[in-house]
Amino acid sequence: MKKKLMASILAAAMAVSMMTGCGDTKDATADAAADTKTESAGATEAADAANAADDSASGEEVTIKLFSNLPDRKNGQGLVEQTLIDEYMLENPNVTIEVEALDEESYKTKFKAYAMDGMPDVVSIWGQPSFLDEVLDAGVLAELNESDYADYSFVSGSLEGFKKDGKLYGLPRNTDIMVFYYNEKMFTDNGWEVPQTYDDLLALADEINAAGIVPVAMDGGDGWVLACYMQDLMVRLAQTPSDKIANAIANGDFSDPLFTEASQLLADTAAAGVFQTGFDSQDYGTAQNLFTNGQAAMFYMGSWETSMALNEDIPEDVRNNIRVFVMPAVEGGSATATDLAAWNGGGYGVSADSEVKDEAIKFLNFMYQPDKLSKYGWEFGVGLSAQDQTSYLTGDETELQLQVMDLLKNATNISGTPINDCGSSSFKTTIETEIQSLANGSETAEDFLAALGEACK
Amino acid sequence: MKKLYSNKWVIFSLVLPGILVFVFAILAPICLSVYYGFTDYSGMGEANFIGLENYKNLMHDSSFGRALLNSLLLAIGFICIQHPLAIVTAAVLDKLGGRAEGFFRCVYFIPNVISVAVIAYLWKFIYNPDFGLLNNILKAFGYEGKINWFSPQMAIWSVLIVLIWHGFGWGMLIYYTGIKNIDPVLYEAASIDGADWKTTFFRITLPLMKPVIQINVTMAIISALKQMETVYLLTGGGPGDTTQFAANYLYQQAFKAFKYGYGNAIGVVFILICILVTVGLNKIFQNKDID
Repeated sequence: MKKKLMASILAAAMAVSMMTGCGDTKDATADAAADTKTESAGATEAADAANAADDSASGEEVTIKLFSNLPDRKNGQGLVEQTLIDEYMLENPNVTIEVEALDEESYKTKFKAYAMDGMPDVVSIWGQPSFLDEVLDAGVLAELNESDYADYSFVSGSLEGFKKDGKLYGLPRNTDIMVFYYNEKMFTDNGWEVPQTYDDLLALADEINAAGIVPVAMDGGDGWVLACYMQDLMVRLAQTPSDKIANAIANGDFSDPLFTEASQLLADTAAAGVFQTGFDSQDYGTAQNLFTNGQAAMFYMGSWETSMALNEDIPEDVRNNIRVFVMPAVEGGSATATDLAAWNGGGYGVSADSEVKDEAIKFLNFMYQPDKLSKYGWEFGVGLSAQDQTSYLTGDETELQLQVMDLLKNATNISGTPINDCGSSSFKTTIETEIQSLANGSETAEDFLAALGEACK
Repeated sequence: MKKLYSNKWVIFSLVLPGILVFVFAILAPICLSVYYGFTDYSGMGEANFIGLENYKNLMHDSSFGRALLNSLLLAIGFICIQHPLAIVTAAVLDKLGGRAEGFFRCVYFIPNVISVAVIAYLWKFIYNPDFGLLNNILKAFGYEGKINWFSPQMAIWSVLIVLIWHGFGWGMLIYYTGIKNIDPVLYEAASIDGADWKTTFFRITLPLMKPVIQINVTMAIISALKQMETVYLLTGGGPGDTTQFAANYLYQQAFKAFKYGYGNAIGVVFILICILVTVGLNKIFQNKDID
């Protein structure tokens, strides 16, 4: 009897300790979520109240959760975002904005998780089919009223990527242009000239190679830069390739000579030694370092890197001499130098079932007021926004910034989303892998295009 | 107290936590994987049942084939290069004695202590064609060209070298412990009988190390199959898919291409392969035991 009693006591003790064990973890997770949970519960009521009453700052507490792909809150775009948040909270003392920021890859993964059990209120999105199609199919983004943004001076066409069936679901943050950054001092010292035609570029590359310098530093390890390069070539060949790309992806058929020509040209370029040895396995940082350390004469990348001119970590004689030119004319191509491989990629959207949707949209609109995101972005040197920035020139701009701005101002045509982001995310993965094989010569242009077609099915 | 442990409820309560962890952390996810493997789930929205479609696609997927081939290569590399070297090094270390023994034991184990991320970046720099250590050494010897260590033909070998190097210390340490456990009397007897080092190694050390070798080989094959983090950080499976491994491919398909269903199908096939290999290895070693 005694033993039985002891046994049951022990068993009970075990069970209790286990339960407390479970309880603890529950508490811990609850704690972690506490600030968000309780506040969002409060926020629901607040939002309801705010909806009921006018949205004249009634003093009701509101919490907006912002999910961002900009983890660096002290530099560049992340700093712009944080500055706006602080400003908004100062102006609206009843609003608290909670930021959760992750780098792009983790961001996209967690975004999926959120899509299943409730999105934060304001989220970073990309106005490209590879990201947005699946998101919109899942119906997690709120529709925005396009006419609200008539006087926000968005660059024409920049909202297109964020629309589906004519309805607007997000707003673009940047305009990205693909450019060749080059070291002007290195060019003049060696008597090199900015290439006007693609053949000039190839000839120049031979000269630079002969001098023991890498002609173009290329981040080929990521695949997307190579895809942007191909997009750039297609712009030079066909001026506006976006319809052909859309058709090819819809039909899984890349037999159009445009694709053959562009991919063959990319393969030939790499084979001619324009990019550094082993470019297909080197990452962004390595490629950029080649350029910023003066080991490479050029660097092919997007206009977001104009902040290089302000980056104190880059040696001064490189930093002050960085200039840009766009993809030179390709023989037989129909484009002029002012047709650009450019697009409006990243931006923001609002969650469809946000409990504080109106407040969230209010905050979104605040960020996009012409003198906010665009102005600060310009002042902090993070590159081009998707809105007209000409009125925010401060006179302190770097030569590089002005050059890039001029490019956009004089643009006659903008290519839209690069080919790798035009299809599903599965198409994106395929092209970004296959294009490495194409560029390093282990796959022919035909096989490459066949693989692309296959990935669309 | 003894009676206590034969009480069913006590046993049950002691075993329960383990069972719960197993069910919720291992069994349930596997079942979910099997389920999602039959769907076209993208991670968001609806999951539609598509039968064996994913598995059919997987059969024709050249990248997956390449990934398995690379895993096989790595397993062969582990067994034929890493482990013989590790056994010999362990045997030599054992004979060294004194301070040198401790020192080298430590040195060989260092790569295992360093985080995988650091290792990957370290080798990225070593292999860099423009400013890497390897090419600079070649340059010092008068070689003028730039060797691309990650060219499509060489990339897999470059990756294998890193993986073999990285896992070397671990294997060696286990062999070393195994050797230390061999009764020194045997060696004394052998030397009295006039056996040289060769005979001692092949007649005493190796046969007595058999259980250790079995464990090490099994672990090597499993680690070759599940190789992911070093490759992910070193090459990401590229250029193209020349250095693709199954786990990395699974990650790419599920979390980058957002083909959760397909990723889960890869996972299921992957689990089956791992089970088959483990069972196969056990069979092989059992048969040997009977001999």
